[in-house]
Amino acid sequence: MFNATILGQVFVNGVSLSAIYILVALGFTLLFGIMRVVNFAHGEFAMLGAFALFHLIKDYHWPWLIALPVGVVGVALASLVLEWLVFRWFYQRMFESMIGLLGLNMMIMFGAVLLWDVHERNIPSVSSEVLMLGDIIVPVDRLIVVIIALAALAGFYLFIRYTRAGLAMRAAAQDLEIAETQGVNTRRTYKVAFFVAILLAALAGALWGQIYAVSPFLGERPLLMAFVVVILGGMGSIPGAALGGVLLGFTESFVGTFYGAAASAFLSFGVVILLLVVRPWGILGTPET
Amino acid sequence: MSVNKRILAVVAAIVLLGWPWLTEDKFLHHIGVLICLTSIAACSLHLIIRTGHVSLCHTAFMAFGAYGSVIVVMQLGMPWPVGLIAGTALAAAVAAVIGPIVLRLTGKYFVLITFLMGEVVRMAIIENSWLTGGSNGIFNVPPPYPFLLSNRAYYYFALGFAVFGVGLCARLLTSEFGRAMDAIREGERLAECSGVPVIRFKVMVFVIACALAGMTGSLQAHYIKFVGPEAYSGFQSLNLVVMNVIGGMTSLIGALLGTVFMVTLPELLRGYVNLQQIMFGAILFATMAFLPGGLVELGRRLRKLLWGRREDAAAAEAGARAGTRASPQAS
Amino acid sequence: MTRILSVERLSRSFGGLQAVADLSFDVDAGEILGIIGPNGAGKTTAVNLVSGVIEPTSGKVTLSGHDVTGKAPHVLVEAGLVRTFQATIVYAGQTVRENLLRGAFREIYPGLVATLFGTGRAREARGRADAHVEEVMRWLDLKRVEHSVASGLPYGFQKVLGMGIALAARPRIVLLDEPAAGLSAEETDHVRDTIKLVRERGISVVVIDHNMRFITDLCDRVLVMAQGRELARGKPQEVLRNPNVIEAYLGKRYAQAGH
Repeated sequence: MFNATILGQVFVNGVSLSAIYILVALGFTLLFGIMRVVNFAHGEFAMLGAFALFHLIKDYHWPWLIALPVGVVGVALASLVLEWLVFRWFYQRMFESMIGLLGLNMMIMFGAVLLWDVHERNIPSVSSEVLMLGDIIVPVDRLIVVIIALAALAGFYLFIRYTRAGLAMRAAAQDLEIAETQGVNTRRTYKVAFFVAILLAALAGALWGQIYAVSPFLGERPLLMAFVVVILGGMGSIPGAALGGVLLGFTESFVGTFYGAAASAFLSFGVVILLLVVRPWGILGTPET
Repeated sequence: MSVNKRILAVVAAIVLLGWPWLTEDKFLHHIGVLICLTSIAACSLHLIIRTGHVSLCHTAFMAFGAYGSVIVVMQLGMPWPVGLIAGTALAAAVAAVIGPIVLRLTGKYFVLITFLMGEVVRMAIIENSWLTGGSNGIFNVPPPYPFLLSNRAYYYFALGFAVFGVGLCARLLTSEFGRAMDAIREGERLAECSGVPVIRFKVMVFVIACALAGMTGSLQAHYIKFVGPEAYSGFQSLNLVVMNVIGGMTSLIGALLGTVFMVTLPELLRGYVNLQQIMFGAILFATMAFLPGGLVELGRRLRKLLWGRREDAAAAEAGARAGTRASPQAS
Repeated sequence: MTRILSVERLSRSFGGLQAVADLSFDVDAGEILGIIGPNGAGKTTAVNLVSGVIEPTSGKVTLSGHDVTGKAPHVLVEAGLVRTFQATIVYAGQTVRENLLRGAFREIYPGLVATLFGTGRAREARGRADAHVEEVMRWLDLKRVEHSVASGLPYGFQKVLGMGIALAARPRIVLLDEPAAGLSAEETDHVRDTIKLVRERGISVVVIDHNMRFITDLCDRVLVMAQGRELARGKPQEVLRNPNVIEAYLGKRYAQAGH
């Protein structure tokens, strides 16, 4: 059972799952770390990203490589309206954000059902070719998904590390009051953070929709995965999101392939529940005093 | 109780007792049954919320009660009361085991862990179809008693349990026990240093609340004559939370108001399921953003608006008296 | 003299930091002991250790002969020790009366069974509650603000209310954590007079503060802490003249100048 080919396949799957999970979790953890908001509606932005990609390709016949960035950026820009209407009432109010954004989740999900009905749709593959690495089968369009996800992650890293906006965000995440006295514009920082978070979520959703299928209920799984990843790695911790994403992606790929999807789900949830009991701040997080 | 409240109570009692006779429509009787049963679930969740923990897995405990009862009755051939006790006991037992562990978690972690636990229970129900019938559920669940065939009869049956369940919650909340619960919620450290054994109290409340949820699960299963995993999802647990939030999280009456609201509104918007959900979502958002006290706070604010000037004057007077004579008479 | 509280070689470290080391002191019935020290001396940690909020890494705490080391706060309340807090002093949104009723939990809670089944016992508990809280309010002169919401009270009154919540549990000894912090001169007098009222009833008091004058005006004996350890102890005036104490507060130059 455990031969090189299958393990290789598991590895490839693990990489693609991890990349997408990290994308979803990053946005989620940004919103928590900077604005202390638990975005229970995060999955819905992933869903919107998938629908954007789908429509641009199916209805406007744009090529994939253009439809993807345009659609994703479009969703993020459009969501700034929601930032103004909904999110800003919950900044630094963690408990209210949890329940209030659950409400937003319902609104977006069932709004999508009204607009687009419940049927699953498929995004046409970018390429139907297949790459052979030895005996391991790597579909080219899956490879493209991985490359794009990794590129986005790299871009995010550079942004958070080397730009002024990224620095402002890190400062605000550490200590808001001090950041403000140092001249960080809170309102603008929040908007930038929100934009980046939604951008990542929408991208993750578009890639997810590419791999699986697109429907108004697409967001449920990514939301759940975002929770798992973020609790594993530590809420508010960016390296934690990366670590958690890798752990979850590879575990799911390995356990899912050999023991089935249900076993994988039980294992992930079980570990996270255990972690919440003994070490709720995650592997890389810090306990709040 | 003031005169107004007494009149209200009498009117409410008349409506509750006479409901099946105020209308011939069987469907409205059904709504009555639903409100009775759901109110027990919402009020028992309210107990947990009053200690400062929002549980997103309350329906999982209803599932324990429902499946426990159904399996005992249908597989073991026991009469319904045994099923009811079995289901309630199962829910209570699970709560007693996991309560001491998860109740140590603060706010957001408790919400997250209950959310995940609810999912795990739902998945476990689906995976173990040999016992639970899996996603398809179990059909033809027998009613508690053969004479309980009409909705009207079941209404009084459910009303009896509702009076018991909600009454139990009210009893706890208006006693010194309830005072301690509120103290724990508003200042856990302060309460503990006044002698309140905090964890023990939280667990007691949790076990009682989950037992009531289990009881409701059994009643519900034998009423709809069906159990299935979808009725006990995180989404349904969220509905119970919404009822508490809409009504106002610090008042039992709020939970009842929220129940009536959430059970009847879908009926008014029949056929527009999506619109209902969007509306619930909007109400949830608006309540948490602007009026966290819910309908009860809305009522309070309205009262203040209409009769507020008298109350404000009294408060100002008390404050002024406090300002003079800073030191007590030390003999 | 009955020994109410006995603390022996109490220590607590957090990772590498030794917050409290080898702290020992006793309190007899009706005494007022002051614990002073500059900020960071470990005073609040010491209070947390004695009152059960955190566990000591070593040492022993004995209350009226019972070993209560490391037990939870509510166990200590049962044994007769209560404390006040520096930050969360009161239940902000509640009236003074309600605050005191919550403090009186130990006195009035009849148990779960009585709550569910015993109408008689529950009613009796309610009656006891009202009488008890009346008594505390009269004692501490809080009757005139009985129905005021705590957050609306002047800060000094809130501090007194915080003491009231502690006293409602009928303790034999109270630990007051910085009761005069942030108060005006007049409010400080109010608090000091209230503490004297408490001692008059035979209740021992341990006052923690960094305000020297407040402590020396009030306490029978004083213990000075610095960097988690005892620096000096004795009668207030002796301690004030101790050069080590002066150095800890004001620096070497003042100590050498013999102030």
